[in-house]
Amino acid sequence: MEVRLSNMTAAKAIGDAVRTSLGPKGMDKMIQTAQGEVVITNDGATILKHMAVLHPAAKMLVDLSAAQDIEAGDGTTSVVVLAGSLLGAAEKMLAKGMHPTLIAESFLKASQKVVEYLTDISTPVDLKDNASLLRAASTSLNSKIVSQYSTILAPIAVSAVTRLLTPTSSNVDLRDIRIVKKVGGTIEDTELIEGVLLNQNVIGSAGGPTRMEKAKIGLIQFQLSAPKPDMDNQIVVNDYRQMDKILKEEREYLITMCKKIKKTGCNVLLIQKSILRDAVNDLSLLFLSKLKILVVKDVERDEISFLSSSLGCKPIADIEAFTEDKLGYADLVDETERSGARVVQITGVKNPGRTVSILCLGANSLILEESERSLHDALCVVRCLVKKRALIAGGGAPEIHVSRLLSQHARTLKGMEAYCFQAFADALEVIPTTLAENAGLNPIAIVTELRNRHALGERNAGINVRKGLVSNILEEDVVQPLLVSTSAVELATETVALLLKVDDYHVTR
Amino acid sequence: MSMNIFANEATEERAESARLSSFVGAMALGDLVKSTLGPKGMNKILQSGSTGDINVTNDGATILKSIPLDNAAAKILVNISKVQDDEVGDGTTSVCVLASELLREAEKLVQSKIHPQTIVEGYRIASAAALKALEGSALDHSSNMDQFREDLVNIARTTLSSKVLSQEKSFFAKLAVDAVLRLQGSTDLEHIQIIKKVGGKLSDSFLAEGFILDKTISVNCPKRLQNAKILIANTSMDTDKIKIFGARVKVEGTGKLAELERAEREKMKAKVAAIAAHGINCFVNRQLIYNYPESLLAEHGIMSIEHADFEGVERLSLVTGGEIASTFDHPELVKLGHCDLIEEIMIGEDKLIKFSGVATGQACTVVLRGSTTQMVDEAERSLHDALSVLSQTVKETRVVLGGGCSEMLMSCAVDEEVKKVVGKKAIAAEAFARALRQIPTILADNAGYDSTELVSQLRAAHYGGQADAGLDLDNGAVASMRDRGVTESYKLKRQVILSASEAAEMIVRVDTILRATPRKREGM
Repeated sequence: MEVRLSNMTAAKAIGDAVRTSLGPKGMDKMIQTAQGEVVITNDGATILKHMAVLHPAAKMLVDLSAAQDIEAGDGTTSVVVLAGSLLGAAEKMLAKGMHPTLIAESFLKASQKVVEYLTDISTPVDLKDNASLLRAASTSLNSKIVSQYSTILAPIAVSAVTRLLTPTSSNVDLRDIRIVKKVGGTIEDTELIEGVLLNQNVIGSAGGPTRMEKAKIGLIQFQLSAPKPDMDNQIVVNDYRQMDKILKEEREYLITMCKKIKKTGCNVLLIQKSILRDAVNDLSLLFLSKLKILVVKDVERDEISFLSSSLGCKPIADIEAFTEDKLGYADLVDETERSGARVVQITGVKNPGRTVSILCLGANSLILEESERSLHDALCVVRCLVKKRALIAGGGAPEIHVSRLLSQHARTLKGMEAYCFQAFADALEVIPTTLAENAGLNPIAIVTELRNRHALGERNAGINVRKGLVSNILEEDVVQPLLVSTSAVELATETVALLLKVDDYHVTR
Repeated sequence: MSMNIFANEATEERAESARLSSFVGAMALGDLVKSTLGPKGMNKILQSGSTGDINVTNDGATILKSIPLDNAAAKILVNISKVQDDEVGDGTTSVCVLASELLREAEKLVQSKIHPQTIVEGYRIASAAALKALEGSALDHSSNMDQFREDLVNIARTTLSSKVLSQEKSFFAKLAVDAVLRLQGSTDLEHIQIIKKVGGKLSDSFLAEGFILDKTISVNCPKRLQNAKILIANTSMDTDKIKIFGARVKVEGTGKLAELERAEREKMKAKVAAIAAHGINCFVNRQLIYNYPESLLAEHGIMSIEHADFEGVERLSLVTGGEIASTFDHPELVKLGHCDLIEEIMIGEDKLIKFSGVATGQACTVVLRGSTTQMVDEAERSLHDALSVLSQTVKETRVVLGGGCSEMLMSCAVDEEVKKVVGKKAIAAEAFARALRQIPTILADNAGYDSTELVSQLRAAHYGGQADAGLDLDNGAVASMRDRGVTESYKLKRQVILSASEAAEMIVRVDTILRATPRKREGM
């Protein structure tokens, strides 16, 4: 019993910690990491990730939020708040002497019912219906720090995902969406870029070009520097004339390589980072600039797959294999300045793959990070709609609706189960309550009014946080993907059931 | 005059005190895992003292394995639970609980001045009678495929109902049976691969035929390959270094260095050509494949998968029927792996590679999803238990009833036998029957029911001739286990009785515990 109580207390503490960040009027948290870095966010998963929790039950809630992040990408705060509330309900029932496994099983059954109810009130959405997607994305963004920019970020998120869609796809790999972050300008300047963006800048130190029209792009994985075989080696210099010879040979070696590259018509060169030796040295940069080749270095190995598919080129691992057919073509490669941030943009790619680049700008790195996280959440929301093409209302409306139906259902049951279903229904009300609390409204007045309106058949009545009253939430365009809600309920219940069944705690080796 | 016979710090415990310490240790351990028994059993949180990692489990073997102990008798119990895990895979808690209950009874007998050897004798008579009764009640449906399959599903459901997967037991029971039946009688669970991915919910888990490798296909390769001929290799694909310690070359200029580098590349090219000469279109390497060979392979139209790990490579070789090669000079001698289709699939946020239509049709992969790492880990343990029990059942096809039914049956049989026994050992045999009855008692206790009431009802039912009566823990009543489909493997039950009584006998016979001097450690 003691163990159980300590688990509940710890888990509820976690729930309370993130509770205030729920909803459009939620507050932000400032987190100082162990390295002294500062993170400002109201994304539940991020807050919990940075919290150094010790208690095993608390750790499980942190995991829970991470799982919601993987599954749905949004609703990471709600899931933890919900789990906390369910545990609170369970605690009361335990105090009455109910058996924990019974509570756990009833909760799981109740969650299946909830999913059923939620699916019932959802409206199917067509992926071609941009307006609906947009509404869902902006609802998600409205609860973030960047809420005032939701009109800008939401369309970006929607068109980024829809561009990756094929008619048959049931999932979208978000790795095909590249978000390039640059400090400078404001969030308003964030935009979806036609073509491809590079994380790196053009190397201009040797005087090479920074703009290239009719570009032929080569992506190389070998190095343009003095040769270095894998065996240990030593150059023996016998006299001073040999020093000249070494220098000359190095020059010649590099010139030959550069000329070979030029010969294929390549005029933009992306060079992969190498840990073994310099990917490119000053001398070769000079030659390349003389040959009017634009150079970008430090391309990570992970990026190769993204770049090669989006530019339609093939990575080249050896100078001998450097042939024209492996190059990618683009109308323009240009390093431009946007609000103080320099970015390399590749437009008019000839054989573009299914990839998207987003340029994310912000006044400082804190805002930038948060705006990227919010954008990621919005992308996830749209992706959820791809996975499960249905929308439900937001603003606490579905929770109240389901809670009402569930307590009705509870009355048809007998025994302990009825009790547990009722408790589950009550626990669901934590979402609208918290929404109201965070918006500075009277939670009791609002929630009771909501219940009343739902009982009268207005099943879309929800909390209109902007106006501070209860209204038809669909008219306010507050919608969320079904998947976010169902997965939050299911995941939270699963974790609560697991925690409830714990009766002992052991330290092992 | 007292003399120091033993070395410093080595200790000796004798007679009463030795017996007491082993009884107490074993009983404490039994009480520890007792609450995890049965469908309404509880979980335990295990937190590692060194890393702080958490494990939530109700698998007896896992709990016992991870708790550090300093009691000889307790260690014996841990050992039998481990053996049970290796032999059958499930019933690890039951065996430990039964052994500790037998010892609890033995303690009482010892207190009433019955000689340990007499107890052992009585226990032997009783366990023989119990096993005979168990064998008598066992049913064999292996001749009828449909009924046998139903048996298997029931066994899986029974096993899973006491685990974290209990909510989804029908789903996972079907999954486990499908997986095991694919094995066609082999007990080699290597063919069933379990991949864990956090995210999603338990019921999102699925069984895929073929083999899934948690790696990515290299860039520039086709992401989908039909009719694949696979060469599985464990070779270094950076450059063939001359592996002589400290070998180094001395050159006179950069040009020579460049030549050397070129020579290395040529060597690699030759190696890739040798690999390509096998007539393959998929190359899987345990080690890294560097950019250069990767692009060469791509040129040859060969899909390459790098860094596939020991386990991945071995399983792949097992399921596709290919050999792991490390030299490529004799293409005709190397056995290649085959599969119908290689493709990339997405699970959660990760991309994985799926090999379907593999040469050995037995192979399959279970992908487990769950809300937390703890959940997925526990789900894996539960599923593993179910799979091993099932695979054992496929071999030893007899089944018995669960839900405390078999225990009660045996206990009654022992009671009958006792009537024929003359002498003190009859009391010990009676004690054995009592210990057996403890199992249904604990089951009922864990579910929060009145155990004394239920168990006496159950016993009455058995004496009244209802041989399939057991505890229905959902409703808290005595019911027919055959109707409810609560089935367990005969081998499992037999093993539980055998190991538990053997362990108990062994501990009862102990009268002295000698402890060697603990090894000195620095900094302790």
